[in-house]
Amino acid sequence: MASQDVDPQREVPADAFDERIIDLDFHMNPPEETLIQYVEDDVAREKFENVEYGMAHRKAKWDAAWAIPGGNEGLFTQGRAEVASDVKLAAEKFAIDDPIVNVGINNAPTQHNPVQKNAIAQAANDFALDRIVPEDLHCLMMVPQWDVDYAVEEIHRVADEDGIVGAYGWFGPFDLFGDTKFDPLFEALVEHDLPLVLHGSLSFWPQDTPYGDGMLTWTEILGFDWPIHAMLTTVNAIMSGVFDKFPELDIVIEEGGHWWVPFVKYRMDEFYEMHPGDIKMHPRLHEMGQERLQRTPSEYLRENVYVTTQPMAPPERSTDFEAMLDLSMAEDMFLYSSDWPHQTLDPATWAFTNRAFDEDLRAAVLHENAEELFGI
Amino acid sequence: MTEDYTRVAAADELEPGNGMGVVVDGIEVALFNVDGEFHAMSNRCPHQRAPLCKVGEKKINGEKCWNENRGGFTDQPAVTCPWHLWEIGLETGEHEASGKKIGVFDVKVEDGDVLVAI
Repeated sequence: MASQDVDPQREVPADAFDERIIDLDFHMNPPEETLIQYVEDDVAREKFENVEYGMAHRKAKWDAAWAIPGGNEGLFTQGRAEVASDVKLAAEKFAIDDPIVNVGINNAPTQHNPVQKNAIAQAANDFALDRIVPEDLHCLMMVPQWDVDYAVEEIHRVADEDGIVGAYGWFGPFDLFGDTKFDPLFEALVEHDLPLVLHGSLSFWPQDTPYGDGMLTWTEILGFDWPIHAMLTTVNAIMSGVFDKFPELDIVIEEGGHWWVPFVKYRMDEFYEMHPGDIKMHPRLHEMGQERLQRTPSEYLRENVYVTTQPMAPPERSTDFEAMLDLSMAEDMFLYSSDWPHQTLDPATWAFTNRAFDEDLRAAVLHENAEELFGI
Repeated sequence: MTEDYTRVAAADELEPGNGMGVVVDGIEVALFNVDGEFHAMSNRCPHQRAPLCKVGEKKINGEKCWNENRGGFTDQPAVTCPWHLWEIGLETGEHEASGKKIGVFDVKVEDGDVLVAI
């Protein structure tokens, strides 16, 4: 690696600017008044113009803002990208060459009214096509997963547009994707060669349950609630035969952690191989007439599932870091993500300053896996 | 304590509430103006090597965020890192929650110049 010249202004090491970096989790926050212009449904638009969109008012039992100096500052520690030029300016500072932009409306799945939610998805996608894609930025279309028929319709409408490289949905306390009702959604994604990119939503473990009410801290909720949902989402898709029926489908788990990969890999294989007798009872596999999965569970993990890296949270010793990357199949599964502009921002410094990364692993995590997955 | 001070800036170059990055003997130093009082410490946050000198930089569309600038200063007194808001004591260089420390340097102002001793 070339030596680092000293520049106190630089946010990331100089070598980062010589490597292509594709960022899987870059949030854009267009102003609401701009998004509303794109809502096609007259009834929904009238409500958006006259009623504040957001969470229904209720007693808050936990808020990320309580842990962060400056409260809700945490969502915008780096700023707020409203237009494509903001995205480019921010990305350049962190040596990010290709931010895969999402419009970041992560509270959409927590809303109740389907007319409202579908209107938001449609508007976000048209905003992306009109304001982001023409500026030579890659973008994820928003998938209204709560309404599978509409989701399929929206995929067919938007997916083949230049610049749309994936479909953005959410993992969390919602219907698990192993449910056969999602098969038409998967079929549409495969038809258009779009990976399903699932981000954590603003919904956490449901409140008014002993678990939901018992968690009161940032570390428990953002640190572990999302990864638990991410693990369950992953294992559920594998064990319900989603990838047997749709072997070409790829799922990306965004901001759901990554160090759980070895745990899931070995535990999933152990449990499945010990007692696989109920696999044939899952409706999808029953319909397919399968007694067993077609592959060892961990093979689906390596071949059909990807995880994003933010925050990397590496161990102190580089030898430990290297071992964890190896056990986590990082060279096949990891996709770099920054989470700009949020409080857990993760510039790719570790890929250039830590001996755990050789040239091949650095290239795989920072761009090669994403290039292959998204065809960019 | 060394008496070998190096001039790093004119005092009026750095507005209160802001940071400035300088290099002294090959070492990156963050210089801060906190309400007219100057402080200096290692430029790289002990967490993830963020450049602390960026404190006070205006955010993109900062006027539409809760705080207009990246990071800041607290009454502790501490500098708040522009990346993750880690609070690092200006006198100690210590981040309380992790116990991690970075170097702090002596600073003085003479004849309108800011001098730092490494």
